[in-house]
Amino acid sequence: MNRRKFLLTALGGTAALALGVSLYQPQLDVEDDGDKPHRILFSLLMPVLLEGALPEMAVPREAAVNRTLDAIEATISVLPTSQRDELEQLLDLLENRLGLLLLTGNMTPLLLRSPAELASQLESWRQSGLALLNQAYLGLRELVLASFYSCPEHWTLLNYAKPELPGIKS
Amino acid sequence: MAIVDPIYEGLASGWKHLDGALYQGSDKPQSLEADVVIIGTGAGGGVAAEILTQAGLSVIMVEKGPLRSSRDFDMEERTAYPNLYQQAAAMKTADKAIGIFQGRAVGGSTTVNWTTSIRTPADTLAYWQSEFAVKGLSADELEPWFEQMESRLNISQWAFEPNRNNGMLRRGCEQLGWDYTVIKRNVLGCWNTGYCGMGCPVNAKQSMLVTTIPAALSAGATLLSRFEATQIEHHADKVFGIWVQARDQNLAPRPEKLMLKARHYILAGGAIHTPVLMMRSGLTDPMQLLGKRTFLHPTVLSGAVFDEAINGHSGAPQSIYSDQFVWRDGAAGELGYKLEVPPIHPVLIASKTLGFGKSHAELMANFNQLQVVIALVRDGFHPESQGGSVSLDGKGFKLDYPLTAPFWRAARAAFASMAELQFAAGARRVLPISEGVGYLNSWQEAKAAIADMSLAPLKTVVASAHVMGGCPMGEDTTKAMVDSFGQSHYLENLSVMDGSVFPTSLGANPQLSIYGMVAKNATALAGRLAPQSKPPETAPETDPVADGVPETAA
Ligand SMILES: Cc1cc2nc3c(=O)[nH]c(=O)nc-3n(C[C@H](O)[C@H](O)[C@H](O)COP(=O)(O)OP(=O)(O)OC[C@H]3O[C@@H](n4cnc5c(N)ncnc54)[C@H](O)[C@@H]3O)c2cc1C
Repeated sequence: MNRRKFLLTALGGTAALALGVSLYQPQLDVEDDGDKPHRILFSLLMPVLLEGALPEMAVPREAAVNRTLDAIEATISVLPTSQRDELEQLLDLLENRLGLLLLTGNMTPLLLRSPAELASQLESWRQSGLALLNQAYLGLRELVLASFYSCPEHWTLLNYAKPELPGIKS
Repeated sequence: MAIVDPIYEGLASGWKHLDGALYQGSDKPQSLEADVVIIGTGAGGGVAAEILTQAGLSVIMVEKGPLRSSRDFDMEERTAYPNLYQQAAAMKTADKAIGIFQGRAVGGSTTVNWTTSIRTPADTLAYWQSEFAVKGLSADELEPWFEQMESRLNISQWAFEPNRNNGMLRRGCEQLGWDYTVIKRNVLGCWNTGYCGMGCPVNAKQSMLVTTIPAALSAGATLLSRFEATQIEHHADKVFGIWVQARDQNLAPRPEKLMLKARHYILAGGAIHTPVLMMRSGLTDPMQLLGKRTFLHPTVLSGAVFDEAINGHSGAPQSIYSDQFVWRDGAAGELGYKLEVPPIHPVLIASKTLGFGKSHAELMANFNQLQVVIALVRDGFHPESQGGSVSLDGKGFKLDYPLTAPFWRAARAAFASMAELQFAAGARRVLPISEGVGYLNSWQEAKAAIADMSLAPLKTVVASAHVMGGCPMGEDTTKAMVDSFGQSHYLENLSVMDGSVFPTSLGANPQLSIYGMVAKNATALAGRLAPQSKPPETAPETDPVADGVPETAA
């Protein structure tokens, strides 16, 4: 059994329902990006979560996005297994749903879906009365924002810099 | 000026240190022996190690985290959290409603804590005495032990001007006529940089990492880092040994194991982890007390934007607190809360605030005008504040912590107090960190909005850096796992010396309470063990001596 199918089955009713995924959806292959999992998903979410923080100009924006994608990977890699598994389940579910919509052509391809639509999706999870949706929102939010602001490259926005102490590595 | 790194120098001078990531075992599990084995090297483990070593006892200290020192402390959250914190600082309660900070490296939480040093409040001690049959821990009886540790760890009142984040807490209290105190800190030659939470880069913080642990090692103790105690072998009323398992560079378990044997065993893995080890080992617990009544000082936050620069990242993170509301309704009355401020660094603030996109970016753009007050709620005294409960969960554990009605009442009162204080100090806008309220522009507006706001798990940001309880002390065995000296009620050669023995939370930052009580308890234990102590030269070498299959319970 492949991993994604296994996770979907293992998650059972509540999680899948709360995330808006029908249990009877066919399994579809989502592009996996080789060793860089979930990069597509995050590059969709990032402009939404980081609107106003990411640079507007194309070149620095791309640099910041790529830097943050790397930082997200680094953040995930240091999580303890149990948390990483939980997060992977969430990401897999999201990718599955995105993949489904993308491939069935029911909607505008998701890769082109407007940031406003993604934002209202996140906003509805944030406002929801269901703990599982709140957790999904908070998990993605914390991961992306923490990863972005963990990079010294992004501190100029804050006018924050660590002090230069003589004899101490910077 | 080059910074002296006492760890680096000590290792070079021949300290006995075994790193689980590098340890090469043999086919048969080997064993190490000492008079005392101590599991965990935080506030409790560090103090116990120094006192027992100085009494002439041989000691092995075990730490599941890595040995890191000032040369590794680069003042960046992205390095510090994964290296020095449990679960990369992303630990949460089972429902994800409370984020928990706890240290995990040699020195435990003291390596990353914020240096606030407060003696156990008299009300707390009195409550323990009357409700939990704790004896010998009155303020008077503890005084010499607090004095001893205050002098050992250079604890003294912060003599410099508070940074502006703390300064606004003081100003608000002054304006309103509220109680406040200048904090005592365990620092020596502090550079006032504000990076205590990422490991002190200049070794000014008198954490266990640079005080008691080096002292113990220099006196011949052995340190095992990246080794996790996984199983206590016991039979009837005796512990026979503790299994420790090596961990690799990423702290994943390696197959290598060692059996540690001693005359006496001390558990000092901190709240949550000490009870987890005891539960996992199936220790006698007839009253089902282990892991229950785990306390957090659950904390809510209030942001404020000032016109002037606050620069809350710079300078001693905590130098002022207010006890105006801690004991107002008596120990067992409405939950009180202590007002303090946190250090303000990018990841901490980005994650412990609300929303995303433009609104969040705007908040972050005000980073240096941002002032933050926190209210630490005193849990565990009120009948409806029973704390959380730790339970085993497959290979790991989980902590369920129900946020009950009295907590939310305290949180609402705290949001109001914090807003009132911040406006009194001159804040332009105040932002309670809870969904749905937004920026408030005056105390008038805030008062009404806060009275009306909805508070709920996952909507209100709640955090903790003070994990306590789960293995309570006292003389009444229906309520306590260990006696008032930390000695197990069931196993004659086992003690617990860390924050897990507190029967309630403290209503004050915990480190000095742990230092003082453990100094007392470890001194008593040394008195019991030292007279028959073996000469120090039999202390184990870094290379473990094979002595066959370890003895196990019959
Ligand atoms: C960010 C932060 C700021 C804080 N600020 C303050 C402050 O300003 N003032 C204050 O008074 N308190 C503060 N605290 C809290 C204080 O540091 C702790 O309450 C105190 O250190 C707890 O001591 P302890 O001995 O119970 O456990 P810890 O100091 O947490 O040490 C326990 C150690 O045991 C290890 N361990 C656990 N289980 C095992 C095992 N099975 N095998 C091997 N090793 C194990 C852990 O990895 C850890 O290193 C802060 C804490 C944090 C995290």
